[in-house]
Amino acid sequence: MYFRILAKDHVSTFVEGLAHVYEVFAPVKNESGFSFEQVSDGSSIVLDYPMTIIPPKKYFVRSKESLFRYDTHSGDVVESELEVTPRVLFGVHACDINALLMTDKVFLGDYEDPYYKARREHTLIVGVSCMPVLTCMCDTWGTGEVQQGCDLFLTDLGDRYFVTCHSVEGAHVLDTFADTHEATAEDTKALEEHLRAFREAFSRPVDATSLQLLFDAKYNDELWEEIGEACLSCGACSAVCPTCYCFDVNDELDADGNAGARVRCWDSCMNSQFAEVAGGHDFRPTRASRVRYRFYHKFWSYPARYGKTLCVGCGRCDVACKVNINPRRIIGALQEGARS
Amino acid sequence: MKPRAVILSLSSDYGCQVQMSNFPELLEMLSTFELGYWQLVSSGDMPQDYDVAIIEGAVTTDEQVALLEKVRSIASCVIAIGACAVTGGVPALASGGPVRGQLKDVYGSGSSKVGIGARKPEPIKHYIEVDFSIPGCPIEPAELSRTLQRALRALTDNPERQSMCGECKTAENICMWTQNVPCLGLIARSGCNAKCVSRGRACTACRGIAHDANLASAFAFADSMGCPPEEFDALLKIYNAMSDQELRKEAVGKIAAQEVAS
Ligand code: SF4
Ligand code: SF4
Repeated sequence: MYFRILAKDHVSTFVEGLAHVYEVFAPVKNESGFSFEQVSDGSSIVLDYPMTIIPPKKYFVRSKESLFRYDTHSGDVVESELEVTPRVLFGVHACDINALLMTDKVFLGDYEDPYYKARREHTLIVGVSCMPVLTCMCDTWGTGEVQQGCDLFLTDLGDRYFVTCHSVEGAHVLDTFADTHEATAEDTKALEEHLRAFREAFSRPVDATSLQLLFDAKYNDELWEEIGEACLSCGACSAVCPTCYCFDVNDELDADGNAGARVRCWDSCMNSQFAEVAGGHDFRPTRASRVRYRFYHKFWSYPARYGKTLCVGCGRCDVACKVNINPRRIIGALQEGARS
Repeated sequence: MKPRAVILSLSSDYGCQVQMSNFPELLEMLSTFELGYWQLVSSGDMPQDYDVAIIEGAVTTDEQVALLEKVRSIASCVIAIGACAVTGGVPALASGGPVRGQLKDVYGSGSSKVGIGARKPEPIKHYIEVDFSIPGCPIEPAELSRTLQRALRALTDNPERQSMCGECKTAENICMWTQNVPCLGLIARSGCNAKCVSRGRACTACRGIAHDANLASAFAFADSMGCPPEEFDALLKIYNAMSDQELRKEAVGKIAAQEVAS
């Protein structure tokens, strides 16, 4: 149990101190909204942001990355592209931290992914509290708080943060780079108030009781046809989703053809190519089957395997989808039908 | 022996060829071929024999049709490059009415002296079989280089199927529609990293309509955002006048019918 108080005035210096030793990535504001970017100037970061367009998953499984290069004549791997530098992700919301714990199950489970693993091991995570916006539903999944998965967590108390330490390295960087002081009874009171305000700020509760059962029973529901008719198959939902991790692997040859790179890039199960196999058979040829698959993966098969829903309720898909396809609506629609 | 290639152009502004000449790895790319002819830079004639034909531009004259047929009979691999060649592009905007009438609109009384052998503009694939298509206005030269490598290894074309929105989100752009700017990313073929939107301009679907596009739903969405079907279709026509005509008509008709019903 180690906690300290960090005045907001001192956050900049803390970040700049970290930036001497680590690459620091934090939310910044730009024309598009908020995104995680590399920062060196502590004053450029914004910690009270609603959500970034793309979650921090982009630092662990890159949207496009070369895994290794090879010689096309000998067939030998010539360079591995795995390079890791010690990093800090500063200002990550609880939902996004919980999402990384879910992708950990996949990339650090039976088949360890060396790229993901190395980056995960070399990255410190500093979480920050937030207040829900309309699209948030972490209250449904209990992903609005962090029990593990970060090194430090900052809870906003107005002019200061209540900093909890979750790892030795977290405590170490806090003591080395941040000017903090001990928490007083008043700080603890303010923390309680923050937690109450956070709980009370959710205005659109979703009842997820027996969800998996409902999904089980509704596999052939006409709902999926209806949703499939609207879906644009654009993959925006999976691109912005912190818990969507599917990727594709391609070989890209250099212009002279002498060498090439094996490239991994994000893929989406909404894409018609996704479930097509050699010979041309397609396991999910219709839009309806693809949309359905995405939701069954999140609410049926991942929980069946790992005991948790593969959604942290960040609401990004709700913002990104043009045709209003998102977990809140799907769950609502499944339950509506159940009552009628 | 290296495969022999030719690069030729039909009706276009040569932008894709210029774009190729800007490619930093142009020399590496060309080193894998014996380049017998490049219309933009060659002063001589086309060789009699070659293996690969890279063709830019839309088909707009009888003469070009004859040329295409000849090229197809010689080349074992035909690669269409650029919006004009792949979808008909901007030239295909003139495909809506009779060619003679359009020439008259532009040239007035002298129109009978111009446009001899002119036809309604069409993409190359309407006349000959195309092995690979590199879409875009202009093309991404790296995509051409990767495709040439596929062609050399006797692989087949492997175009992106998904529409642009996912790629645009990955580029962390703000959606144009949230700023009340109609954007064709909803249905445009991905693969350019959402270049235009990343620079603050709406997508014009210069890469064509995505294989996975859901036109009916996109038209309905546009309509709900205050961009009526005719307007959305007009935007789409800039590069895709000849693509998915039936589906487009259907989408427009469906919304009109819904409006009558309500
Ligand atoms: S499904 Fe939607 S709400 Fe759930 S984690 Fe993914 S983007 Fe967030
Ligand atoms: S659900 Fe929405 S965001 Fe996802 S592919 Fe379909 S239209 Fe795109």
